[in-house]
Amino acid sequence: MFFENIKLAFKSMLANKMRSILSLLGIVIGVGSVVAILTLGASAAGSITASLESGGIDTISLTATPTAKNYDTFDERLGQRLMENVEGIEAVIGISSSRIRIRNGKIIKTNNVYGVSSDYHTINNYNVAEGSWFTSDQNIQRSQVVVLGSSIAKSLFPDGDAVGSSISLFRSQGSKSFTVIGVMEKKDSSFTASYNDSLYIPYNTFTQRIQNVSYVGNYVIKVADGYNAVTVSDNISAFLNRLVGSDSFFVFSQANLSEIASSITGTFGTFLAAIAGISLLVGGIGIMNIMLVSVAERTKEIGIRKALGASPKVIRGQFITEAIVLTMVGGLVGIALGSGISFLVCRLVDWSFSISIKSYVISVGFSTFIGLFFGWYPAKKAAMLDPIEALNYE
Amino acid sequence: MDEVIRMDHISRYFVVGDSVVKALDNVSLSVERGEFLGIMGPSGSGKSTMMNLIGCLDTPTDGHILIGGEDTGSLSESELAYIRNRRIGFVFQQFNLLGRLNALDNVITPLLYSGMGVGERRERAMHALERVGLAERMKHRPNELSGGQKQRVAIARAIVTEPDIILADEPTGALDTHTGNQIMDLFRSLHQEGNTIVIVTHNDEIGRACPRLVKIRDGRIEGGED
Repeated sequence: MFFENIKLAFKSMLANKMRSILSLLGIVIGVGSVVAILTLGASAAGSITASLESGGIDTISLTATPTAKNYDTFDERLGQRLMENVEGIEAVIGISSSRIRIRNGKIIKTNNVYGVSSDYHTINNYNVAEGSWFTSDQNIQRSQVVVLGSSIAKSLFPDGDAVGSSISLFRSQGSKSFTVIGVMEKKDSSFTASYNDSLYIPYNTFTQRIQNVSYVGNYVIKVADGYNAVTVSDNISAFLNRLVGSDSFFVFSQANLSEIASSITGTFGTFLAAIAGISLLVGGIGIMNIMLVSVAERTKEIGIRKALGASPKVIRGQFITEAIVLTMVGGLVGIALGSGISFLVCRLVDWSFSISIKSYVISVGFSTFIGLFFGWYPAKKAAMLDPIEALNYE
Repeated sequence: MDEVIRMDHISRYFVVGDSVVKALDNVSLSVERGEFLGIMGPSGSGKSTMMNLIGCLDTPTDGHILIGGEDTGSLSESELAYIRNRRIGFVFQQFNLLGRLNALDNVITPLLYSGMGVGERRERAMHALERVGLAERMKHRPNELSGGQKQRVAIARAIVTEPDIILADEPTGALDTHTGNQIMDLFRSLHQEGNTIVIVTHNDEIGRACPRLVKIRDGRIEGGED
């Protein structure tokens, strides 16, 4: 009986092709948008998280905004104090930076020059393309060596012969000559660093040969394995709050941001899916409407079937099956449509496309439920028809 | 003898507006297995009500009706459907075939409701179509068949369940005389094979062709038969 009902459902769907397509459209659009939104949401969240994590999920950035009173706190020794007072810190690197004029022959630029430690690049997953990064010996010896970001390397050395050449860095009085020892790979900017336009020199060289200050503007803190970056950054904030007050520093971690970002995309996605769910509801009402029309149209058929011995239960089963088949076909077309659209959008904006099985299950489940829910009343109406009246219906 | 229909002082009233219409008024009738009965009367005589009661599409206001020994007055919708399926084979004036299904599927339909297996359904339906001489038309849809052929499919559908009663309502009403006679011949030969046949009609000629005839007028049996 069940298979006959499914066969009958397809027969009657095909008998009124145009009408079936139109009434399915609501379900198709509803399911399609639920699938597209959930799939795109998952893909977007994945891409945002991936791009945040490429900046180093296990690093925390500490920026000083000192007042005259606690200016001295932000020096080289702060790193040591943090490591002694806050659990879960593997290393603290001080970064000093300044916008400085640079010259190679006739080409003159003004860019950010960073004084950093010898392991800055490994902590930030920043890879050398050519040559090498400076060693800790070069830092101790205050060597006049420089590593270039990819785009500044291109503008200073259009011919690509950077490594081994010399450039001049200007100070308030005069300039110093630096040897280029490395060029970095291209890397997307994170929220705390713009890599490609910058130049990197040893920290000690910067503080003792470029700017004679003890003040450190930025610290990069590496979180030890097994510790949560968000917890560690909270603890750092708490420690500094006691030390200098909350208005003198800014702690920021990629982990924090990716947590916020994924919660935003999650909330936003759910919200949009709920709106798309409303269109499913509207589609369901369309199904109910078409099923009522179908029952009215087929009153005679229902009468004949009853005369031949179909019980009310059998008639109800036939029409409910028809409604469910209708919505499930709509659901499957919707899934195909939604996935197709998401796939195209992902290709277009360069996100990694990830199929959301969850959205498929939700959509098929929900559209079947809608078929059941909105098919129930018309089917019940059909089952309750008086056989004599139905037989005499023209 | 085996009594397939027994009506004991049956009445069927309908309320129309403020008045009560007595479609059937204290009617009693008994039909034995293997009889060929005509129920004749002008329109409005109550013969359709009689057919609906015998066909278990309706239940009486008063009195008892037994179909195959079962009192239908107290049965639920599903139980009535069950009796219609097992004991009654309907043949209608307008054939009432399902337009989307071919002849074979039309004949199979009542067997769907009796829960029979696919193979047996098909075999019995093909056998029934052979019986009415339409085996080679089984893949045709109703709109590809002539009136006489449609009525033969309907008769095949009525006999496929091997019912106690073949109940025909003006079976020749939509056919020309020649085709009508062929259909009556088919009923006669089904009767000779032992089937119980009840034909409801207003047509004298059809009525006279029935071995036993009951005339109805104004909700009562004329001549007080039974």
